[in-house]
Formats: sequence, structure tokens, C-alpha cells
Amino acid sequence: MTASVTEKARLPAPAALRRELPGALRRLPGRILRGSSRVGLVLYALALGGVLGLASADWATRGGYPFGGVAIGPWTAWPRSGTAGTDPYTRAVNARRGEIALAVGEGMLLTASADDEGRALDAACTYRLSGSTPPARAWTLTVAGRGAPDPARPPVREGFTSTEVLRERDGSFVIALAPDVQPGNWLPSPRASGPLRLALRLYDTPVAASVGNLDREALPAIARIGCGA
Amino acid sequence: MRPGFLVATAAGLVIAGIVHIAAVLAIPRLSESDALTRSGASESLDHPLRIYTLATGDNPAPAEAWLPIPDPAVAVGVCAYDLAEGPMRVSARTGPLMLSLAVHSRRGSYYAVTDQAAVRGALDLVVLTRAQNDEALANEDENEPSRDVRIIAPEPRGFVVVRVVAALPSQRAAANEAVQAVSCTLDSPADPPANGAGSGAGRSPAKPNG
Repeated sequence: MTASVTEKARLPAPAALRRELPGALRRLPGRILRGSSRVGLVLYALALGGVLGLASADWATRGGYPFGGVAIGPWTAWPRSGTAGTDPYTRAVNARRGEIALAVGEGMLLTASADDEGRALDAACTYRLSGSTPPARAWTLTVAGRGAPDPARPPVREGFTSTEVLRERDGSFVIALAPDVQPGNWLPSPRASGPLRLALRLYDTPVAASVGNLDREALPAIARIGCGA
Repeated sequence: MRPGFLVATAAGLVIAGIVHIAAVLAIPRLSESDALTRSGASESLDHPLRIYTLATGDNPAPAEAWLPIPDPAVAVGVCAYDLAEGPMRVSARTGPLMLSLAVHSRRGSYYAVTDQAAVRGALDLVVLTRAQNDEALANEDENEPSRDVRIIAPEPRGFVVVRVVAALPSQRAAANEAVQAVSCTLDSPADPPANGAGSGAGRSPAKPNG
């Protein structure tokens, strides 16, 4: 009984505070500004502009390229990331990472971080990469995890080249991306868990000039077979 | 005061937009980790600076790699140039491995060629400014046209990237050597390029326009 009374007595206080607080918060900038008038407003605008501008520029140029990718099924092609005609964001990303992207006459990079059904690639799962690649003199298909390599898993193999891969009768190939040993072309997962990223680099390819004409069938399909516990 | 505060917030957002654009445009110029700055160390060399060496049996871990996600089957080297000192000549001999050369300025690559464009097993590029190109054209002997591929650079500073693909692990050592075997030399401005020292393979008197 007494407990409920004290609780009731206590309750109105936070409610009143809640009602008061937004008003006080709303008046606070006004009070600051009334004190310092125009100078305060100018400083506030400059500070807001500086902080927001630099933070957004940092966010936009961190990590991968924000624009310029051409999505083809699960793959994204980056035909112009290394050329002089690329967008300023890609140029800034390259400058921050020290990346030297492939030029148009040299080759083209394609990346994939999800399977055919749009689920993110996971190191714990087994995938079947099957099909063929667009015409190229040589290609490499590599897998990478995020961050530093796992010292507990020495890299057995990071990828396949067009010469190394074992092919079917019709020239296509099947690569098993899996944490455990697989028959055929086994691409071991680089880490025990976490997101993966596939990179297909085509060297000396005519495709870089006409990426829009590529269709899904021209690139390897990425099918999830299952996820081990 | 409220309208003044709103105006200041709006002005702040506009300033944020301007700062954002200015920062993104300035990053390539100010960055100290970009490829152009890092390749500067190769300017005094006459062969490419190895920036990604393929792991071989003797040398398992490439120490000098600074490419963020390198291709584990491609050896990469860079030659930085400063055209204020004179045009740069890049000479490569083709071998069994696929080789490509890409010329970059700060803005990105503006020319790339693979070993399939080689004439009699030799690839000769001369990177020069527009003024140096005019001079080279003026000095050229009409009866003996140069076989060099002349590339006009948009900016005086930049670098040439050499990539050699090792299709099999056993070719990795050869790929590392093929990168080193490319020569990047200053083309002496005193000599007309047609008579300049360097590769002799492409300079036979047989000419298509004889």
C-alpha cells in the first residue's frame, strides 16, 4: 500500500520533466544565440557545415566504390574504375586505398558478395560456382574475407586462374567454394565465418568496352548448396 | 530568433554540401597513400619498382605489397615518371607470359596496351607532353619513321603499371622476373627519338611506306 502511494507520488515528477525538457531543449539554442547574436549563428552554421561535410565525404569514400558498378546477376562489373573518365568518388576511393585499378585496355574487375538469390556470401556455407566467363585471354577467380587473414587457416589456395581450373567437356567449369575439402575444383573458404567477396578479373578482354551487353549466362552462377553448422 | 536559427541550419547544410564536394575532389590531391605518391620511390630506377611480388617457394610472403586486394596470380610493378625531366621510354620484350602496360596520371589510366600489340616481340612506349611530342615530330626523319608508340600525357607526373599474369604457380618466378625486365628510361631530349638509344629490334630498314 505504502509502496504504491510513493510510486504514484514519484510518477508525476518524470512526466513533468518530460514535458518540460523538450521546451528547454528548444529554447537552449535560442538562449545561446540571443546571447551571442549573429556571430553565434555564423559559427554554428560553419561548424555544422564543416562537421557534416567532412564526415559525409569520409563515409562516401571509405570502403568500396559508391558508383560506377554494372550489376549482372550476382556480379557487379567495374569497367571504368581505373580510367581517367571515372567519377570523383571512385578516384577518391582509389587514392585513399592506394589501389591501382585495371585500365580498360588491360582488363576488367567483377565482384560478387551475394549468391544468385541475393543472400550474402558466408564463409560457413558451401557454394557451387558454375558456368563460363566472358571472352578473355586469361582470368582469375579469387575469394577474400574481410579484414586481415586468419593466421589459424594458412591459405591453401586463394583462387583459380583460367589455365589451372579443371573444365567440363564443353569448356565450362564448376568450382566448389567450401570450408571442407571437395572433389574437383575446391576453393577453400579463407576463414571460418563471416562475409566473403569473390573477385573475377578478366585480362585482355574486349568486354570492358561493352559491359551493357553482358548477360547473366555469360558469368558463373553462384548457387548455395548448404550451410554447415 | 527561431527563423534566424533555421536560416543558420539551412546555411550549415549548404556549407556541408560544399565542404563534401571540395573534400572528395581534394582527396586524390592530398592523399599520401595513393599510388602516385607511393610510386615516387621508383623515379630514380630504370626498371619497375616491384609493388606486388608473387609468392614463390623461396619467398612465401610478399613484403612490399601495398595494393589493398591484389590478384594472387599477377605480378605488378610501377615506374613513376616526371616529364619535366624529359620523355620516358618504356621498353618491354614479350615472353610466354601475358604482359600489360597501363599509363596512369593522377586522374586515372589514360592508355593501356597488352603484349599482343607488340611488333616483333617488342613493345616500345614513349610517354611525353604535347610540347615534347611536337618537338619529336619536328625532328623526325621522314625516311625513317619511328616505330615508337607515342602517348601524350595529360599531366607531367604519373606512373606506368606493368602487370604480368602467371597462369600457373610454376610461372610465378618467371612473372616476377618479367616485371623486372621491363626498362623505364629517360628518353634523352637531345637525340631525336628515331635514332635514340634503346631497343634495336624494331628498327630494321624495311618500312611499309618505302
